[in-house]
Amino acid sequence: MNIIACVKQVPDTEAQIKVKADGSGIEDGQIKWVMNPYDEFGVEEALKLKEKNGGDVTVVCLGPARAMETIRTALAMGADKGIHICDPAFDNADAFVVGNALAAAIKTLPHDIIFCGQRAIDDDAGQVGSMIAEALNLPQLTLVTKVDFAGTSVKVIRPIEGAQLLIETSLPCVVTAQKGLNEPRYASLPGIMKAKKKPVDVKNASALGIATEAKAKVAKTIPPPARPPGKIICGDDPALKAAEVARLLREEAKAI
Amino acid sequence: MSNLLVNTRDQQFILFEQLGIEKLFESEEFKDFSKDDLLMIMNEAEKLAVNVIAPTFKEGDEEGCHLKDGIVSTPKCYREPYKKFCEGGWINPMDSTDVGGQGIPAAVGFSNMELFGAANYAFMMYPGLTHGAANLIHTYGTDAQKEKYMTKLFAGEWAGTMCLTEPGAGSDVGSLRTTAKRLPDGKFLITGTKCFISAGDHDLTPNIIHPVLARIEGDPAGTKGISIFIVPKFTVNDDGSVGKRNDVNCGGIEHKMGIKGNATATLNFGEDGKCIGELLGEERAGIKIMFQMMNEARLGTGLQGLCTASAAYEHALAYAKERVQSAPVWEMKNPDAKAVTIINHPDVRKKLLWMKSHIEGLRSLLYFSAFCMDMSRVSKTEVEKAKWEGYLDLMTPVVKAYTTDKGLLICSLGMDVYGGYGYCQEYPAEQYMRDEKIATIYEGTNGIQSLDLVGRKLGQKKGANVMNLAALIQGNYTKLKTNPDLAKVASSLEEACNAWIELTMFFAQAGKSGDFLLPVLNACKYLELFGDVIIGHFLLDGAGVAFAKLEAIYDAQGATTLGKKKGLQRSDSDAAFYSGRIASAKYFANEILTTVKARCEAIKAGDKSPLEIVDEAFTC
Ligand SMILES: Cc1cc2nc3c(=O)[nH]c(=O)nc-3n(C[C@H](O)[C@H](O)[C@H](O)COP(=O)(O)OP(=O)(O)OC[C@H]3O[C@@H](n4cnc5c(N)ncnc54)[C@H](O)[C@@H]3O)c2cc1C
Repeated sequence: MNIIACVKQVPDTEAQIKVKADGSGIEDGQIKWVMNPYDEFGVEEALKLKEKNGGDVTVVCLGPARAMETIRTALAMGADKGIHICDPAFDNADAFVVGNALAAAIKTLPHDIIFCGQRAIDDDAGQVGSMIAEALNLPQLTLVTKVDFAGTSVKVIRPIEGAQLLIETSLPCVVTAQKGLNEPRYASLPGIMKAKKKPVDVKNASALGIATEAKAKVAKTIPPPARPPGKIICGDDPALKAAEVARLLREEAKAI
Repeated sequence: MSNLLVNTRDQQFILFEQLGIEKLFESEEFKDFSKDDLLMIMNEAEKLAVNVIAPTFKEGDEEGCHLKDGIVSTPKCYREPYKKFCEGGWINPMDSTDVGGQGIPAAVGFSNMELFGAANYAFMMYPGLTHGAANLIHTYGTDAQKEKYMTKLFAGEWAGTMCLTEPGAGSDVGSLRTTAKRLPDGKFLITGTKCFISAGDHDLTPNIIHPVLARIEGDPAGTKGISIFIVPKFTVNDDGSVGKRNDVNCGGIEHKMGIKGNATATLNFGEDGKCIGELLGEERAGIKIMFQMMNEARLGTGLQGLCTASAAYEHALAYAKERVQSAPVWEMKNPDAKAVTIINHPDVRKKLLWMKSHIEGLRSLLYFSAFCMDMSRVSKTEVEKAKWEGYLDLMTPVVKAYTTDKGLLICSLGMDVYGGYGYCQEYPAEQYMRDEKIATIYEGTNGIQSLDLVGRKLGQKKGANVMNLAALIQGNYTKLKTNPDLAKVASSLEEACNAWIELTMFFAQAGKSGDFLLPVLNACKYLELFGDVIIGHFLLDGAGVAFAKLEAIYDAQGATTLGKKKGLQRSDSDAAFYSGRIASAKYFANEILTTVKARCEAIKAGDKSPLEIVDEAFTC
């Protein structure tokens, strides 16, 4: 089975983000970068499928040179090989460009199932999985919390308000992972050392033969207003503490 | 954002910028590593520590261990993390690949353990002791013993312990009474009681392998007559299959102040006269063999001192930035002044800097000790190798005792920063202090460590190890004295180092002239002075590195005025870090190193009141 997992490198949720003075983006020099958590679910599911049905997991990532670290993390978790789409031409890429670039890379590989995170936690756009499916003309199963593979088709669960949908489609297809799909594994030490020897193919825009012109651009990044300091209510009696919260909400925050 | 356990930026600073561990990659032993690999390993260790181990800290303390119907249960929340920890290969990353390790530099291994231990030291003792026991069998076991026990231990399938202490033999191991009786098949029948055995019995693994010190019948009294035996909880057949229950039983577990998640067991060997043990190594070499594990455990206990203190500090710092209390002192005449976060109060700042500077110094000391192991491995000449081993031999008691003494003080100050809340169980400060305290006691009390330093280590190789260390420190302050910004603190290090060397010579002289009681009486004080000088050295060495890096940032950003520099320290996290490192070093030099000489003089003055006072006069 040929399994693809798309990964994006994003700032750690714990990182303190500073918006550039001119609003043109964020300062990216001193923050810690991690694999997008939703992509981790995708990688984990890919590895589980492989462990159960055999096959091969390829991670595909578009990002600057530092994103290699994220590819290595996926390889350390157990993926077999990587493709790194790395080109300054993608610096201002939107979801359309990214989706097309990933699709172009995936097209060159045998693929039965393609995993993406349902969205990336940095720009929260949630479009890339769908863009890939469109570009490759494949069915897309989004916001998935369970995947059952049945030979030539796949059945998935997508939770909706008050119920869940059981959806089935033929392969190949694109699946976007939602929280709850699985619990991503940690890279083991032997895994980290083995990852060093796994191949990563680096490709630029011209190798993929795609346009890099973005259709949408972020006009401005605006930081949230500074938050006033929080208040901690201490004590052992939950009832008293709740009463104090209610009082503060009414009298100070005037929220109720 | 802090992970509330360990400052990973400081870890990286010490490893890559201060010690320069990249130079190890030039050697055959470490040629397969790159800095990126090590960073990735450190990153995964942090994830595991924060997400998997740390959540067991409070719950494990509250649930504790229980003995029921002869079975010791550990906190339920330990089971999954223990499995993940072993599966991830974290028991022995520093060992070679042929025993399932990855051969990573010890210095990096220590940085991983610091994170794990900061997350929950009581938990970490299970894999820690397992590693020590496995490593003993690795070094001293027969091929058959390695196959039977070692592989499963290194993989974490089974667990290990170290069994020295008995009710009548604590500090004085030589007085132990456990006996071994020869059996016709070459094995031994073990009879005796061991107490205070960490991880002595538990339910995390199906089998536990005890290295046990005992005396073979007829062997001489004292340490010379002690041998060491492998005693499994369940016997293991020669084909590797698990046999019947051995005659080792848990007689009880302690109810104790801290590390409650770790079962401290009394173990009865051979109550029914059927406890089978296998000799490990040669007969009567037990103490020498066990010393390998003890040295490992002493460094491990030093790590406990550091990591628990580090977590206590990170929490106290976060609290100090949040807790609002009292108007600042410079507003004392203003009745309308607003209360500020407590980090703004001079006394709180000073406490925090005391903690920060000590932690950074201790961290360097610990990583340097591990780096000594790495450097001795890659040394090209015997002289070189002896030098690195010498540093480690000399410093082991200092690492154990100084780090844990200061670690406990750091935990205590951390609690002070919290005020009354720190004393209450709602916050973790009090648990850090409870968990930390044992580190000054077990693995040879800090009193015993000091005697080891003064009585044995100083004189080793005719004092060559001390002289090598002194030369290292001298090289450092000589270099720093040429830097106008650090010259003053470098002079403080010089003065402190000279005073420490003089005191060392004074002790040597006292020993020669028969007045050995003075060094013995002041051994703990001496060890503390030694520790102050050595971490002062590391802090200043670090400040030299940080200074150059900070200047480079100022240059690159065109910061020429004080205002611009301060601005960068606030806005640029690297500038903040380096300036913080320089502040730690200056503070430590001014506050601590300047007192070293006077404290040395006080010892030399030769007060012997504690010896002269009669027992009856202690009554007050
Ligand atoms: C929680 C816990 C876990 C432990 N884990 C283990 C373990 O896994 N394996 C193991 O074998 N042991 C273990 N121990 C035992 C521990 O190492 C001993 O408690 C310790 O070595 C001290 O021995 P003792 O308690 O008998 O004290 P004692 O030896 O009675 O000492 C009491 C005091 O006298 C001092 N003293 C004794 N002799 C001298 C001397 N010659 N000169 C100066 N001062 C002296 C000591 O420093 C101490 O202050 C553990 C203990 C505890 C509490």
